[in-house]
This record gives sequence, structure tokens and C-alpha cells, in this order.
Amino acid sequence: MNLTPLWLALLPETSLVVAAAVSAIVSLALPQLRPGIHRWIACLGLVISLAACGLVLLSLRHVLSGVAITVSNGGFVVDSFALFIAILACVTALVTCLISDTAVRRIPSRMSAFYALVLVATAAAEAIAAQRDMVTFFIALTLLLVSLVALGALVKTDPRGGVSSFEHLVEGIVGTAAALYGLVLLYGVTGSTDLAAVARAAGAAPGAVALGVGLLLLGLCATLGIFPLRQWVGRVASSVPAGAAGFILAMSLIGGGAALARVTVSGFGPGVGIWRWLVPIIAAVALAHASLNALRETTISRLLAQLVSAQAAMLLLGLIAFTTGSRALPAYGMTAFLAALGVTAIATVAAFGVLAMLQVAGIGDAIGDLRGLAHRSAPAALMLTIAIATLAGVPPLAGFLSRVLLIASATDTHYGWLAIVAIASTLLTIIAAIRCVGLFYAEAGSEAPFTLGATPVISRVVAGAACLAGVVLVVLIQPLLAVATAGAGPLR
Amino acid sequence: MSVILSAIVWTPTLFAVIALFLPERDEEERGRVRTIAVVGAGISFLVTTLFAVLGQIVLAAGGGLAGAYQENHAWFWNFLFRAYYDLTADGMTLPLLVVTTTVFGCAIFHSWKIHERVRLYVILVLLLETAVNGVLCSADFVLFAVFWGLLLVPMYLLIRVWGGPGARRASAWFAGFHTLSFVMIVATVAIIIVAAGNSSSAMTADLKTFSVAAETAGFWLSFAAFGIAMAIFPLHTWMVEAQSKASPGVAAILSGTMLMLGAYGMMRISLVVFPSAAHYYSFAITGLAVVGAFWGSIGAVRQDELRRFIAYMNVAQMSMVLLAIGAQTSVALVGAILLLAAHGFASAMLTLVSGAVEERTRTTSIRAMGGLVAQAPRLAGFWLVAAFSVIGFPALAGFTADFMVFAGSFPAHRIATVLVMASVIITTGGLLWVANRVFFGPPRDQFVRVPDVSFLDLTVLIPLVGAVLLFGIRAGAIVPVISNGVLEITTRIASG
Repeated sequence: MNLTPLWLALLPETSLVVAAAVSAIVSLALPQLRPGIHRWIACLGLVISLAACGLVLLSLRHVLSGVAITVSNGGFVVDSFALFIAILACVTALVTCLISDTAVRRIPSRMSAFYALVLVATAAAEAIAAQRDMVTFFIALTLLLVSLVALGALVKTDPRGGVSSFEHLVEGIVGTAAALYGLVLLYGVTGSTDLAAVARAAGAAPGAVALGVGLLLLGLCATLGIFPLRQWVGRVASSVPAGAAGFILAMSLIGGGAALARVTVSGFGPGVGIWRWLVPIIAAVALAHASLNALRETTISRLLAQLVSAQAAMLLLGLIAFTTGSRALPAYGMTAFLAALGVTAIATVAAFGVLAMLQVAGIGDAIGDLRGLAHRSAPAALMLTIAIATLAGVPPLAGFLSRVLLIASATDTHYGWLAIVAIASTLLTIIAAIRCVGLFYAEAGSEAPFTLGATPVISRVVAGAACLAGVVLVVLIQPLLAVATAGAGPLR
Repeated sequence: MSVILSAIVWTPTLFAVIALFLPERDEEERGRVRTIAVVGAGISFLVTTLFAVLGQIVLAAGGGLAGAYQENHAWFWNFLFRAYYDLTADGMTLPLLVVTTTVFGCAIFHSWKIHERVRLYVILVLLLETAVNGVLCSADFVLFAVFWGLLLVPMYLLIRVWGGPGARRASAWFAGFHTLSFVMIVATVAIIIVAAGNSSSAMTADLKTFSVAAETAGFWLSFAAFGIAMAIFPLHTWMVEAQSKASPGVAAILSGTMLMLGAYGMMRISLVVFPSAAHYYSFAITGLAVVGAFWGSIGAVRQDELRRFIAYMNVAQMSMVLLAIGAQTSVALVGAILLLAAHGFASAMLTLVSGAVEERTRTTSIRAMGGLVAQAPRLAGFWLVAAFSVIGFPALAGFTADFMVFAGSFPAHRIATVLVMASVIITTGGLLWVANRVFFGPPRDQFVRVPDVSFLDLTVLIPLVGAVLLFGIRAGAIVPVISNGVLEITTRIASG
């Protein structure tokens, strides 16, 4: 029985699409209006989407199943998981809108397109989380890729930005093609576009199912930004202006994470065994790859990209820990997964938000350029320290706590070996982060002090608040876990 | 609900946040920053002292960890296990809290000798104090790991930014070893919570039985993690580097408090949570203690740098603590806690005096010094007080501690105890040799104008001398309090 009206269940996505359309129409019809208006249209759309999520959640407060509405024979489901992802995506987009002002000011004629693409990408990520049908799932996935690639290409300030967006497109297409082949194979086996049907047909053609699942997982690795399809992460981080790059990485993380959770836990479940040994292997290799690369990076943007990639791989630990754990209780892997996803997404936009401020102040991208940053701008050094430390899992910040939750979940569900890999990876990322942070506070060179004054106050305040979330969420981890547990409910 | 422990732990951070917003453009503003830091550390020290006096009365009356002062709030519970913001101070913790707040107070006073980036210095020291006090007071494994992790970045930056030549390498060593130590502690916590099937990460919860493999893995992981922090042989190299390259104030914190935390963690976690493995491998532990004692004492006498000498003395001293941990008798463990306190004061004092000597002579070489007693008799006096405490001179803090460690260890491991006692002869010889080389002998022309201790030096060193005397003379009052805390460990070992 559907407890929520259809219009309300669809309002989170539709409000975003409508806001994007309004922004485009305003841009075409009233070009004389100041470009900043588009930011506020986008913010309004996001706030309406958030409010709609809140209203749907309100209607869900007495529903044990956590499902608000199911349409298209279960192909589209608005449940507490989809709402969690929607809220997270909206918050990430809202932060991006508020901190990317300076990056967008350089391209006033394309401002409307920028915010419209932010809204469409957010809507796509929200839609992915609500899909259980292969066809619409693939469309949402492709929409996310296209909007993010277009966003990167749109804000480019030099040719490198265009090249990196093209590379993102190529790698993304390889990923979506793999995912499409996988979905087609699974459709061929099951004769249904319902992801949950795969589990029922797994025994009929195990080879085809294994190949389909493998291809689908490979494709989703590209969206999530983890090994083997993760070259675009570093390229986008270093070539696209930081404000937009942070959004691209964070939204890919949210969309990719939601897609993986829907496909594996909600779709395949325990019935399809292949993914439960493929995902740990991918996680182990991706963790090792990203954390080892983090040690080698010489630019701050690529270091952040490696840390995001390592954290994305870490999320897989929560994904596999979805079954009953060692103590015969439902495992909390998905709770840890969603909590960590939230922390990582916010920390990613925060870190790139600070980087955007440094770019505006004319600071170079090489880690060596940040030597003595604390001398030259103490607030910038402090914010960047917190953001990097959160992403790297440096204690006692929220990134560390989220890793503890993920590792505990994996250990509880008998993936002790993977927990060891995750701990070793954390060791490497912490060392990489400390080495970089140490340079911020080392003796300054001959560079002059600078201020962040060129960045608008609201952007500075929002970026600072997003960085501080890494500290605040340590204290307030329980509310986050409570929300994540509710979000994980329909998947458990 | 009492907030005494929260006040001890968080007051330094509160004042660090205040200091963050203070300018430091001239000496007057820097003085203001230092004053704020002194107030923060001072409040923590005063509350601790008051708490220790009250705690002594309460704890002497009976009760273990649960009978001590406690603050308990649920931290998070929507997960596999419940975690608590649980701060507890029992008989083991109390004396060590007195040590840490005293040493940090002295280190903050020492910041008057720092003239560059004072604000960052005091903020990091205050954050470090929160971390150290938090580790000591944590009664929840996750909270313990969080505070342990908080040690990492402030100490790394303190060594790197204010250290002398070679500080970058020393800080890298520190970061590498301590990150390893930290991840091993996280792994241990995961084993404790998950492998034992506990529904809570509270240290006071009933600990379930582990499989032999889990117990062995947990024990060795925690032992190695705390062994790194404690700088036992062969995991001591980071400490020798850091101790010799960090600024004197930071080195005093390092040798006065950080090593202590390692030993404390070993007793609080390795022994209490994995008692069977600890008992089974006690021979290996004492073997390490014997090797470390000789390595440290012989290594010390081979050094030419004053602070490298102290670093190796630390290795030797920590080997004595390790001997007590291997012995696992009540008397030895009480002696070990007392030794940690005594070592904390004495080692911090030795480090600060050596810093003062290096500052005056502009050399770190022991052989290049000599005859300083004529120009700086009080400085020599401070060195001798600290050295005598390390040696175990009666009426000083080290005496009762050494006596109890050896008396308690002898019944359990006779040969090892005798060997470690033999190493003390080398340690004693080394300390007296250094005192002779640095302070006595014919006065040298280049040191004729060397000033004696300044008012600032006195401010830093006198509290440490007072503490060494207090812990030496009033050991009879302190031992019952520590015994009360150690009771939990010995009970666990007996029942495990």
C-alpha cells in the first residue's frame, strides 16, 4: 500500500528538474538579469527538494518497512534509503552552489547552465537510489555521467579542463557500456528488468549471471571512482576548477554508492553469491591502489582525489557486511556504509571548496606551493588540515570514526582479511595526509601572506562549516547513525 | 553527574580554541597567548591535584575501576556495539594524571623561550594535553583509540616545526611509528569488540572469552602498539631521534608523558583484556625487558649527545616497567605505576635541564662540556636531583618505585630481575659519568660567562623537584591508591 501521494514522492526530483528548467528559461528570456540569480534559483530548488524529502520522511515515521511508495511494479521505490541519498545529494549540491561562486563568476554567460547541470546531476543521483528496474536504473546512471562530464567541460578555464572532461567521458562510457552489457546479460538470463529477479534466476545460468554481475560491478566502479576505472578522478581533480571538481567527485561517489547498494544488496542480495566475493577483491585492490598512489602524489588536488578514491573503496566494506553477522544480529554494514558516505561526500566538497579559495588567491596546485601555508593564511591551513585529515581517516575526526564503523562491520561478517587490508590502507593514507599537513605548518618560504578575501563571505563560511562537520560529526555521530540506520532499513 | 574528569581533559582544548583567536604580532600579544595557555594548563593541573587529594581519600577506602570517579554518557548506539563517552580515574590513573598535568604545565611555561609561532605552539601543546589526559581517563575502547589518535598530529608538528636540525627526519620517524601503533590499536579494538562478540565497547563491560587465536593476535597487536609508544627495545629508534631533535619543551613532554602512555595502555589493555596470553608470554616479555635494559644502559653510556643519552636512559627505565609487566604481580605493577610517575618527572626534568645546558653552552656534545658547576651550580643541582631519582636514591620518587618493581618481579622471574638490576649499575654509572663530564672537572674558558638558572627555568623546574620529593616522601600514601587500581589487573590475570 502506498502511504505517500505520488506527487509528493516525486517532488524531490521534480523540484530539481523544474528549477533547472526555470534557470534555463530565465537565462534565455531575461538575459539582462544579473547572473547570480541562477544560484538562488538552484538553491531554492534544492531547498524545496530537501523539504519534500522531509515531508516524505514525516509520512514514514510509523512505517516499519521504510517504504513510502512503490510504482511501476516495484521499479521505482521511494523508501528511506532513497530519501537518505536524496538528502545527502541535496546538501552536497547546496554546499557546492554556495561555495562555487568565484569559479562560476569567470563564466557569467554559462552560469545558468552550470547550476542547471548541478541540479540535473543531483536529480539523477536521487533517481538512481530509487531504481530497482534495470532500464531506468541505466538511464539515471547515464544521465549522472553526462551531466557531470558536461559540468566539468563547462567550467573549464584552460584546455586541460576540456581534455580531462573528455577523458572522464571516455572512461565513463567504458564503464556504462560494461554496466549495460552486464544488465543485458542479466536480462537475458532472467527475462525481467527487475534487479531482484536476478537472485531468483542465479542458479539457472550461473556462468552468464557471473559475467553479467562482473560487468555491472566493473561499470559501477567507474561511477564510484575506484580501481580499475578511476583515472578520471585524478584528472578531473587537477584540471577542473576545484569548486566544480569537488561536486563531480562527491556526486559520483553518492550516485555510484547508491547504485552499488541498490544493485548488490537490494537487487542481488544473498542469492547471488558471485558479487560477495568479487566486491571484497575489488575493495582490496582499490584500497591498496589508491592509498599507495596517495603517497606518491605531488599536487594537492590529486592527493585529495586519491584520498576520495580510497575512501570510496572503503565504502565497499560496508556493502559486503549486509548479512547476519557473527552475533546472529542483522549486520550494520549498510549503516556504516551510509554514515561513511555522508561524511565522505561532505568532506570532499569541503576540501575542494578550500582548494577553490586557494585557487582564487593564486596559490599553485603543487604540494610544495603550500609550504608554510599556516604562516600565510592560518584559516586556510586550518580548514584544509581538517578536510584532508577527515578524508584520510586521521583520528579523531569523523573520517576516522566512519572507517572504524566500516572495519568493525567487515570483521563482524567474517571479512577479517579485508579489514586488515583496510587498516593497512588507512595507515598509508594517514601518512600521506600527515606528510602534506606537516608542510603547511613548516617554515615559510619567501612567499607573501595572502587572505581569502577574494572569495565571498558566504562561500568562506559555508566551506568552513563543511570542514568543521568533520569535527562536529565525531560528537554527533549518533544522530548520523540513527538516520543511516533508518536509511539502511529497507536494504537490511 | 560529575564533570571533574571532563574539566581535566577538555579545559586545555577550550583554552586552545581561545588562543586560536588571539593575535600574535608583537611580544606583548605573544605574552597574552602564553598566559591564556598557562591558565588552561593551570586549571587542568589544579583540578587534577584537587581531584587526586579527594580521590586518594575515596580510593584508599576500597573499590576498583567502578568505584572510582566516573562520567558516563552514551556516545553512539545505533550500531553493532554501543560506545560511551566514559571517563574514569582509578588508582592507576590518578598519579599519572598528576604527572601529565604537571609536565604539560611546565612545557607551557617553557613556551616563554619560544619566540616564533607561539600561538601554534601553545595550541598544539594544549591539544596534546587533552589527548594524553583523555587516553588516561578513557574507559571505553573506541574513545581510547580516538584520544590515542589525537596524539599523532600535534606531536608530529611540535617535533617538526620547533625541532632543531634533523627534526624533519625525527618527526617522520615519529609519525611512521605512531601511525603504525595507532592502527594496531584500532585492530585490537576491532578484535575486542567483534571477535569477543561484545555488545559494548566499554572497558568496564564484562569481557567475553576469546578464542586462542584471537587472544594471541589481540595481545601481540596491543603489545606491539603500546611497545612502540613505550619505546621498548627494538621499537625505540623513533624516540631516540625525536628526543634528541625536538625542542626541549617538546622533548620533555615526549619523555615525561608519551612513554608513560604506552606502559599504561599495556597494563590497561594488554594485561586486562588478554590475561591468558599475557601470562603465557610473560617469559618473552621479561626477555625483552632484559635485552632492553642492557641495550638502553649500554647505549646511553656510548652517547656523546646529552639528549640521546637521556633517550637511551628512557629505554632502560621502560625496560624496568616491562619487567614488572612481565612479572604481573601486584607489588611489581604498583611499582611500575610509581616508576612511570617518577620517570615522568625525572625524565622531563633531565630533558629541560639538558635543554638549558645546551642553550648556554651552544653544544650538544657531552665531551665538549665541563666544569659548569662553578657558573651554574643550581642547574647542576637540578640535574643531580633528577639523576638521583632515576638511580633510585632514597626519599626521591624513584626509590620506592625501583624497590617495588624488583621486589615484585623477583618471585616471578628471578634471573631476569637480577639481570635488570645489574643493568641499573650501568645506568647509575652513566648518569654519574655524565654529571661529572658536564658539570664537574676544571672550568672551561668558553663557559666562564654561562649564566645559572633563570627565573623562568626555576618556574619550570621547581614544580618537578617538588613532585619528585612528594612522590618519594609520601610514597606510603600513594601506594595504597595505586594498589587499588592495580587490583583489577591482578584479579583478571588470576581469573584469566
